[in-house]
Amino acid sequence: MTVLLEVKNLTRIFGSLRAVNGVNFTIREGELVGLIGPNGAGKSTLYNLIAGAIRPTAGAIVLNGMEVTGWKPYRAAKAGVARTFQIPKPYRNLNVIDNVVVSALMHHRSVAEARAAAEGILVDFGLSDYLESPIGVLTVGLLKRLEVARAVALQPRLVLFDEIMAGLTPSEVRSMTSLVASLPGRGITVIWVEHVLYAIMNTVRRIMVMHRGQLIADDAPEKIAKDPTVIKAYFGEEMPVA
Amino acid sequence: MTACIALVVIGPSQHMLDVILLSFMWAGLALAWNIAGGYAGLISLGHAAFFGIGAYTSSILTVKAGVTPWIGMWVGAVAAAVIGAILTLICARLRGPFFILSTLAAAEVVRIGALNWTSVTGGAEGLMILPTPSAMNMVFGSKTTYAMLMLIYMVVTYVVTKAIEGSRYGYYLFAIRDDEEAASAAGVNPLLARTGAMCTSAFLTAIGGSLFAQYFLFLDPTNVISPELSFQFALIPALGGLGTAIGPVLGAFVITPLSELLRSYFGGGAAGLHLAIYGAVLIIVMLYFPSGISGALMRHLTWKGDSAR
Amino acid sequence: MVAMTTIGQLVFSGLLIGSIYALMSMGLTLIFGVLRVVNFAHGEFLMFAMYGAWAFVTYTGFNAYVACLAVVPAMLLYGALIHWIIIRPGLNKPHLVVVFATMGLSILMQNLALLVFSADLFDVPPLNAGRSITIGPFYAKLELLIGFGVTLLATAVIHVVLKSTYLGKAIRATVQDGEAAQLMGIPVPRIFLITFSAGSALVGLSACVMIPLFSVFPSVGLNFVLIAFVVVVLGGMGSLEGALLGGICIGVVQSLSGYYVAPAYGQMFFFILFLLVMVFRPAGLMGRRGEATLGMLD
Repeated sequence: MTVLLEVKNLTRIFGSLRAVNGVNFTIREGELVGLIGPNGAGKSTLYNLIAGAIRPTAGAIVLNGMEVTGWKPYRAAKAGVARTFQIPKPYRNLNVIDNVVVSALMHHRSVAEARAAAEGILVDFGLSDYLESPIGVLTVGLLKRLEVARAVALQPRLVLFDEIMAGLTPSEVRSMTSLVASLPGRGITVIWVEHVLYAIMNTVRRIMVMHRGQLIADDAPEKIAKDPTVIKAYFGEEMPVA
Repeated sequence: MTACIALVVIGPSQHMLDVILLSFMWAGLALAWNIAGGYAGLISLGHAAFFGIGAYTSSILTVKAGVTPWIGMWVGAVAAAVIGAILTLICARLRGPFFILSTLAAAEVVRIGALNWTSVTGGAEGLMILPTPSAMNMVFGSKTTYAMLMLIYMVVTYVVTKAIEGSRYGYYLFAIRDDEEAASAAGVNPLLARTGAMCTSAFLTAIGGSLFAQYFLFLDPTNVISPELSFQFALIPALGGLGTAIGPVLGAFVITPLSELLRSYFGGGAAGLHLAIYGAVLIIVMLYFPSGISGALMRHLTWKGDSAR
Repeated sequence: MVAMTTIGQLVFSGLLIGSIYALMSMGLTLIFGVLRVVNFAHGEFLMFAMYGAWAFVTYTGFNAYVACLAVVPAMLLYGALIHWIIIRPGLNKPHLVVVFATMGLSILMQNLALLVFSADLFDVPPLNAGRSITIGPFYAKLELLIGFGVTLLATAVIHVVLKSTYLGKAIRATVQDGEAAQLMGIPVPRIFLITFSAGSALVGLSACVMIPLFSVFPSVGLNFVLIAFVVVVLGGMGSLEGALLGGICIGVVQSLSGYYVAPAYGQMFFFILFLLVMVFRPAGLMGRRGEATLGMLD
């Protein structure tokens, strides 16, 4: 499989805090990769760097062989990087379908075409009952689905999911998981930050673990679950019980 | 539409015609402001500067260079658009009240500049256009003709507004207005979108300024580039309903006749009462009907979940 | 040598008038820092207070500084009233609601004043028969010097309150993070009320200091509110020291440019200064970096 994303020695410093510290990894096309780590590990900062929301202090990001380090978010989006936000950011004065139309317009010239495409995506994502609804009526679960729909509507090469399971009921988690799992089949490579571990542990074949700005593990889920460094990061040192 | 034409044709007294004419003009101006303020979220309290640039440019060209306003107004409009672009670029990183205050400051710079550049603008004494009727010079003897002119202006700005509203550019404007970060992540270039909106708005506002100059035939900076006028540009769409095409029109048709009415009722005896009422109404509307008159109407007519874009 | 004294005098006068501009703007910056709203009727608050001071002086015969005793509490109450009926309902709505509502308030207040007082300019008699007193090589009107003193005193008092009292700490906490403050048990709505009222009281104080120097008329607020905005932005919204610094800068710039360039252009200078600040350091001299780009916390 071809290499889609290379992150080389990526670093971002805020004052005295090394939020992202020399991170290296490669993502291949069609992969479905999980990214986990305790709070404050730097996952959101990493996303912001890749998506162009902030500039790195050092290091490089290469997408499809192209240097995209420091690109503005809209350029990154046009180059094929889509992302969701941890707290959904819908366009509050537009209705549901219009929210997706904005994204769909990237690859559809006319508004009519974009609308048709948006409708298609929303139906796929189980939001067909809410096409003309205002944003205010959507529950958290539906809002998160809308976030995913908007990202997919960009027809991206790479999508960065940011905790899309938080606040969902178990059945919602199940349907969202199968949705995400279907994306590589649609040609979309996925990086998936998640705290709801049971959702991704059984779905992905590769997990990266971040802690204190660094990548401390990058392996299959079974190995990660037993990795002592990972366990220490989440739970701390084992305390001897006398 | 037909009602408007009927209004103009039937147009009883000269005074009524005045009010109707001004309503058309304000509707056009409000629509122009709305493209930046309501659609793109760029709330400007300095739009009188664009109005003034349009008015003064075409008038100066007429008076000093004999250029007909039919051409001069386009020059003014382009000038205003350029200034609008510069302003947007300067204020590129500013949001919220910082942006609003910057527009105020910029307009004041333009006003004071116009006030003191007496050689060109005539300063505080003002600039006068010869009132001899001549279609070539856009000076008309009959108010009805002016009213038709303003009506055309209103219709054109309405058409432009609607065209933007339904276009991909319109969607992008609403997106950056509602959530700029999310819009960027969706591939929208915020600076380009904002600049385009401000330029279009400035362009249309300046045309209105030129038309006004041809109607009023006298300009001076204090009346044509004042903060009070700038506030009016923002208040009418706000009252009528930001972010919709019909809102500014409703606002203009309610406010203009109303202030005329209040002025004639109370103006003589108690100067300022009509404005005091206006101010109080504004407070109440903003607090309890933030989507303005059009929003309140829409809720009454209960149209199915239509987004008040 | 003569030029030096002239510049010196201009800077000195600028310093004094600037301090008064600062006093006038402190309420605005405090209100913005805590409530994150811009009160577009700020100038009209000043106008009302100036009328109040004028009335006090005219009908009791005491000077404007004694008028503080009446005007400051009155403005405190008025601020509380306006906060209650206008600001509070607008807080959870999109910020343009407060912008337009306070604009409406500004129009209402201006025209009420017009109705009650007419458009004539009102003055109070100057102290010291209008003559200036000498301080070293410079001269200044007594009212300006008193104004400067009042400003320094007020700044010091507020500074102490903010640093040392519980209320002050609560206010600073709310400025930094309203949500966290509320979670910590700070009664944020009450802090909002107190801040808005206190800000209005400050406006009352500055009105008393200003009425001996400026005439009052219904639209006087507009001139001053623009100055206040520039001061606040220059100094950094929410920063008291910034307001003082900003005010002095504006005063000096106006003084110098008014003398060396035409007085009319003097006004234009500080709008240009404002725009320059917006381009290069939008958070102001003392503001926190990035604050302006966040704008309002919607």
